[in-house]
Amino acid sequence: MTLISPPPHHDIYSIEDLAQLIFDLKMVNPKARISVKLVAEAGVGTVAAGVAKAHADVILISGYDGGTGASPLTSIKHAGVPWELGLSETHQVLVKNDLRSRVILQTDGQLRTGRDVVIAALLGAEEFGFATAPLVASGCILMRKCHLNTCPVGIATQDPVLRKRFEGKPEHVIRFMFYVAEEARELMAALGFRTLEEMVGHTELIGLRNDLHWKASRLDFTDLLSGVSAPPSVGRHKMIEQDHGLDGSLDIKLIELCKPALDDKTPIHHELTVRNVDRTVGAMLSGEVARRFGPHGLPTDTIRLTFTGTGGQSFGAFVASGITLELKGASNDYLGKGMSGGIIAVQPGPGATFVAADNIIVGNTTLYGATSGKAFIAGRAGERFCVRNSGATAVVEGVGDHGCEYMTGGRVICLGTTGRNFGAGMSGGLAFVLDDDGRFRARCNMEMVELEGVSPEDASFLADILEEHVARTGSAKAKSCLLHWEQTLSSFIKVVPTEFRRVMEQLAQSQGQSAPVPRRDSLKVISPKPDSVKH
Amino acid sequence: MGKVTGFLEYPRKSPLKLPIADRVKNYREFELPPAEETLKEQGARCMDCGVPFCNTGCPLGNLIPDWNDHTYRGLAREAIDALHATNNFPEITGRVCPAPCEAACVLGINSDPVAIKLIERATADRAIEQGWIQPMPPASRSGKKVAVVGAGPAGLAAAQQLARAGHLVTVFDRDDRAGGLLTYGIPDFKMEKGLVDRRVEQMTQEGVTFKLGVDVGKDITGADLKRDFDAVLLTIGSRVPRDLPVPGRELDGIHFAMDFLTQQNRRVAGKEVYGAPILAEGKKVVVIGGGDTGSDCIGTSHRQGAVSVTNFEIMPKPPEQRAESTPWPLWPLMMRTSTSHEEGGERRFSVTTDRFIGKDGKVVALECSEVTIEGGKLVQVPGSEFTVEADLVLLAMGFVHPEKQGIVEQLGVELDARGNIKVDPKTFQTSVPGVFAAGDCQRGQSLVVWGIADGRKAARGIDMMLVGSSDLPLGNRADPRFVL
Repeated sequence: MTLISPPPHHDIYSIEDLAQLIFDLKMVNPKARISVKLVAEAGVGTVAAGVAKAHADVILISGYDGGTGASPLTSIKHAGVPWELGLSETHQVLVKNDLRSRVILQTDGQLRTGRDVVIAALLGAEEFGFATAPLVASGCILMRKCHLNTCPVGIATQDPVLRKRFEGKPEHVIRFMFYVAEEARELMAALGFRTLEEMVGHTELIGLRNDLHWKASRLDFTDLLSGVSAPPSVGRHKMIEQDHGLDGSLDIKLIELCKPALDDKTPIHHELTVRNVDRTVGAMLSGEVARRFGPHGLPTDTIRLTFTGTGGQSFGAFVASGITLELKGASNDYLGKGMSGGIIAVQPGPGATFVAADNIIVGNTTLYGATSGKAFIAGRAGERFCVRNSGATAVVEGVGDHGCEYMTGGRVICLGTTGRNFGAGMSGGLAFVLDDDGRFRARCNMEMVELEGVSPEDASFLADILEEHVARTGSAKAKSCLLHWEQTLSSFIKVVPTEFRRVMEQLAQSQGQSAPVPRRDSLKVISPKPDSVKH
Repeated sequence: MGKVTGFLEYPRKSPLKLPIADRVKNYREFELPPAEETLKEQGARCMDCGVPFCNTGCPLGNLIPDWNDHTYRGLAREAIDALHATNNFPEITGRVCPAPCEAACVLGINSDPVAIKLIERATADRAIEQGWIQPMPPASRSGKKVAVVGAGPAGLAAAQQLARAGHLVTVFDRDDRAGGLLTYGIPDFKMEKGLVDRRVEQMTQEGVTFKLGVDVGKDITGADLKRDFDAVLLTIGSRVPRDLPVPGRELDGIHFAMDFLTQQNRRVAGKEVYGAPILAEGKKVVVIGGGDTGSDCIGTSHRQGAVSVTNFEIMPKPPEQRAESTPWPLWPLMMRTSTSHEEGGERRFSVTTDRFIGKDGKVVALECSEVTIEGGKLVQVPGSEFTVEADLVLLAMGFVHPEKQGIVEQLGVELDARGNIKVDPKTFQTSVPGVFAAGDCQRGQSLVVWGIADGRKAARGIDMMLVGSSDLPLGNRADPRFVL
């Protein structure tokens, strides 16, 4: 199925967003080094300073030469500048602002030789990324077909027929890297360095060739090579760890509370209060579940935590299978970011006087990049709901602009109005929108999707999921929908990405079945009213 | 481009050939044209590589992925146009080129390469059939005059390029027909000569004057050329054959391959044959030299009715598959079996000839021995001597350099250490201003495709000198001597 490449990062619109993402990632895996990749360009140093302050552990300055074979030519040809420029600027800015000692500076972009490594170190890097050269060492012949699944040397493919053609061996890459290391060693010895750290930032050792082309010979390299003046107390390579501020997070308490479940899968339920300063609640706990039980986690609802209050940013980020987070109140942005199999249920707090279905109770960018799990939101969500969702099921009672943008899988059931640009770049999954005001068509981006009514299979799915929604959140809106089921079904519009339909039809054909996604002209909704409406 | 999964779906198909028993009865070509569907499938096998090594593997820089794709889509006209963009005579290279492009084809790394040569030939033959080979005279003439000495592939390619750039080109050749070795070297069963005639006709209509049967150096001197023309291009080939100076060389029945081949081509063309006839009929033939010329001698001997044909090669027998010393995309050292080898005869490797034995002034046998390579040198294996009967011996051991007496001496152009004409690799100008050289006479013996490539580049060099700039294409930079 087509994926939009390169992927836009709709969870990062500011340096604060990035800081939040770094925090989220650190929470879910405190042992991981969080690396932020920046394209070398004029002003990258300033961005890097922000990234260092946002607590990245590693900053990667990526030069313009690189790019996978699947990159659009425009990106390959017209994005960025040489890594040398970006790296030198970044190193200088970080030293000047005394930020250099807390981050590792990495660089990549067609590094191929030991000399490249040494020059990169002298310009300020202590780590070096190689991709093309080791790939070539293992047999890549630069076909630029990585995106077509036809790699004739069996590298960029999972097709067993093509994989058989792969003749690379780990030894080829090892040999290549040894050569790189050997050359770097020789140059370091010639320059009088014992370790890479000693070498970092010594631009005074880089000279200009005197055999340059007449045009190149007029370039002024002063700023690139002049080095940076700072007091001796200022570190010039990575010396101290970032303070990610994980110590005071609510999750440390959650892990303590959930010990019985983590140790021997004993189902537990706890009630807690939450405040908006509690960021990324449940992520560290989810990381712990994943570490202990693998990607499939625990049985559903093994860990049930009910919170009252306001969830901070990224409430329930990466929530793992077996964890159910119930929130009575409201939540900030990024609710359920990267959801990984868990369940989140949000309803207005006790004593809320407003009508849930008419009010936003979770912020923007909910369920960004969710891969599996379920979310039930008894109220409206902000903008960019379920962007890049690839497998989670979500029920919500209204969304802002750009709902389901770039979605590639999963199901979204929206029981209220949407904002504009719904389904832009949506290549997979399904959305069911209750078109109460009859104006959904105008708000939907029709570039990649088609609209139709619901089928009998859809109807029974919708009935089940709305019943669960009622059960988990007590949603008045859903209850009302179920009560007037015929009318509800006739108001639902099903959003089907054209690409998704094609793939599903192919799949059905290969299994010898009729297409599970019916054409819009074959629609006739006949569905039993659900037997009972609980709660 | 092409069919994305074509290389996984279709196997490589080589051209079908007439049965040996039929084809050795005459001197006609014997490769059969592929079916339309086969041709499309072969085009579909092209992978449109990110780095198309075929393109750089080809001395001409042929736009191979482009015309493979056109072929796959059935766009015959587009295919020939793309082919003509870099190659003046695709119907010729489509027959006689050993296809370094296929050796460089990326698919050849772990599979059979795309049948590029088959596609080239089919495309060119289709164009002939459809009447798409039309003269392309220039819109305006420069008034500059260029003499091209030698009507071989380099000379013809250069002449066509120069004529299309607007210059008045006169091509001289001492033979009575144009084409050089294309006409009087390569046997008709590998390439029928009407193809050369068609190109000569096309070029005549483009304004090229052919002066055939004129031996430049004798009939016209270097001084004449310099006086009458604004530029002179030498494309005289590398015509001095390597000899075998061993005892008995003077015996009757020992000939240079080219004398033998030329006679047969003249016979086929119905032209007068000069000198005593050299014929293999009823004879035991030994061909010394395992290259393409040797192979041509073998095929011709079969057709003339030789009793036996034995082929000697001094180098050891190469491996069946690409030797490790020549990894992809290099031109592979490997055992090659030409169509003439298929037709019969014995091939012996690591053989050197020590002496010719004669009777009544005629050769009757060869005394040979085996050799091995030690320290990069060929060394005789003691006690390996053997004798082979022969009453016709053909020497096909390559060519050493161009003929020096005549035009080369008259113009006074500088030679390199190997006796070839020294040129500036960018412009192909010799040490004498206004005198250029292209093809084997400056490269040493080589392929037709290199001759065409050199001719095209030299034409650009001449055009640059004559008018200060040139719209003629720069060509491939695959030549290692070519530095930007």
